[in-house]
Amino acid sequence: MPPELHTYQTSLSANIIQFGRFLRSKGYSIGPQEESDALNALGFLSMRKEDLFRQALKTVFSKNFYQFAQFEDLYREFWSELDRAQDSKLKKKQDKKTLQQSSLRKELKFQALKDWLNLNPSEEEQPTASYSDLEVLSRKNFSDLSPDEMELILSALKRIAKRLAHQKSRLRKRTKKSSHLDMKQTVRLNMRTGGEIQRLVFSEKKERKLKLVLLCDVSRSMELYSRFFVHLIYAFQNAYDKIETFVFSTALHQVSEILKNHEFGKAFAMISERVPQWSGGTTIGSCLMDFTTTHAHNLLDKKTIVFILSDGWDTGDHQSMENAMSVIYKKSKKVIWLNPLAGSPNFSPEVLGMKTALPYLDLLAPAHNLKSLKQALYLAQRRRNLTTSPVFSQNFH
Amino acid sequence: MPQKELAEIQEMFREQGYISDDAIAMSVYLAMKLEKPLLVEGPAGVGKTEIGKVMAKAMEADFIRLQCYEGLDSTHALYEWNYQHQLLHLKMQEQKGLDPKQLEATIFADKFLLKRPVLQAITHPKKAVLLIDEIDRADEEFESFLLEVLSDWQVTIPEIGTISATHKPQTILTGNRTRELSEALRRRCLYLWIDYPDFAKELAIVRSKVPEADENLGKQVCAFMQELRQMKLEKTPGVSETIDWARALASMHLKHLDKQLVEDTLGVVLKDWQDIRKTQDALSELLEKTGVESRL
Repeated sequence: MPPELHTYQTSLSANIIQFGRFLRSKGYSIGPQEESDALNALGFLSMRKEDLFRQALKTVFSKNFYQFAQFEDLYREFWSELDRAQDSKLKKKQDKKTLQQSSLRKELKFQALKDWLNLNPSEEEQPTASYSDLEVLSRKNFSDLSPDEMELILSALKRIAKRLAHQKSRLRKRTKKSSHLDMKQTVRLNMRTGGEIQRLVFSEKKERKLKLVLLCDVSRSMELYSRFFVHLIYAFQNAYDKIETFVFSTALHQVSEILKNHEFGKAFAMISERVPQWSGGTTIGSCLMDFTTTHAHNLLDKKTIVFILSDGWDTGDHQSMENAMSVIYKKSKKVIWLNPLAGSPNFSPEVLGMKTALPYLDLLAPAHNLKSLKQALYLAQRRRNLTTSPVFSQNFH
Repeated sequence: MPQKELAEIQEMFREQGYISDDAIAMSVYLAMKLEKPLLVEGPAGVGKTEIGKVMAKAMEADFIRLQCYEGLDSTHALYEWNYQHQLLHLKMQEQKGLDPKQLEATIFADKFLLKRPVLQAITHPKKAVLLIDEIDRADEEFESFLLEVLSDWQVTIPEIGTISATHKPQTILTGNRTRELSEALRRRCLYLWIDYPDFAKELAIVRSKVPEADENLGKQVCAFMQELRQMKLEKTPGVSETIDWARALASMHLKHLDKQLVEDTLGVVLKDWQDIRKTQDALSELLEKTGVESRL
């Protein structure tokens, strides 16, 4: 067995450490453990073959799929930089400089995204030493995503949806899992053997089965977001069993079936086809009225959370909207209005449609990026609270 | 010397009928050398589980498998006290009139301990291969629970104390990314991502697993599968489907694909009716890309 390489203070080991630091700045979680693993691993290999060297570092340093896929590029970036450096001192300085520059560039890119639509106050974001892809994405505006990023966000959403679906109730039921001993039932069961405890009874919390109803606005004012929202409801529809989805602009359309049975591209095309006023005007009031008269009686009950995804721009009659909202509010467990515009710092529910709906909402939350959406969904799990105002405030932690 | 060892691993795998590549060989090699667990992720049906099995065979070690599922807990993975046995033992001893203090000492003895896979692997008389399959299906609590085992190779049983490993088992964890695993678990492992194989590798796999298949047929099957994976399907077929299909076609003594045949046997490859319908619609185009002449 060769001696442990990291006992020598060689320039190679220094470079490996440097490389580890470089990767750390790119979001890899690398500590002394990984670095010493890498050095040990190299001790087992012949140094003459470069691809072995790269492969070994890749195996040790990357810890998830994204890091694994990204590794080759970063590897090339770092070692070519190192090649160019004349001597080690110069190299160190350069390294630092390039690091700073690259993080600066990132920061700028970040800033540009942030300023897009001017939705996020700039002090909200603190540059962090390391961050995962998802963390960055969760602050990006939804109207500004590439398909790959969309994929990533949707998988995150699926996870949230699953969590929402598997909520625990306070009631307990019997189970085989030996997690929580149910003393009362144990004693009762063992009465038949004269009180001698031979069998144990375990219990776990019952699952609370929530139902969801999604009402999504696809009118022109929502155009920037509606494609994303359809993505979102698609993800929800496929992660969650008890869900009914509607889209509306000037008329209401039930789309659950389409979303459930088709692959996304096709579903999207079919929905756009079925909804002739896609990206047209909005009459929220009459659509909601339509919902209450035809669907509310069999879809809404006290286990159902209603999500309305809309910006509240309404060209219809506000009286019918008020009537509809009050019916929905009374019949459901919770009503949550997700408004993409509410992410803006100077947003206030001034639009008539929004104003009318406000008394009948449990929560009015922004949904312009993943972070806000996560928070809204988190709040959705809580009980209805009658004392607090439904308006989602900016300083929400 | 070391390079030879790396080559040896590839050879070892080939002998067992597993076609590996540089990345796989390197991860397995380092996992053995550094004595660290190896976390393997990738889409379904690319041979993640197979790695563990082949390793066990190649190392001539015992193979211990723990299939994860939702609700898996320590009593199924680690150990459990044989409660009924303990009770019986107590009853019998009571009749002998033993002192309760003495009794208490005997009750948590080894013979009442039911060893589950993880504890089995740790206390195994020789080095074993432990496969923790589909770890992402287990709950997060279970994952945290594995941490002690994977980093210190020991298990703490409150009644007995800490049991340390006699031999560090060679551990393989597999996952499908249905759930993101915790950072803590990842940090204790080496990582390997296996993707769908490229044409050459897939062909090599088919050759090694289905030697009876016609050469031309093998090529066509692999080319077709490569194209099929480009389509957006609900369930993308893996390598195991390719092998099944090649085997099925070979058993019919066919020498090449044709449209009718593909349509009839699509059920071997695709397991979702929407996928089947979609593929049927696009079949001519797919076959054209594959280079199969339609004979109409």
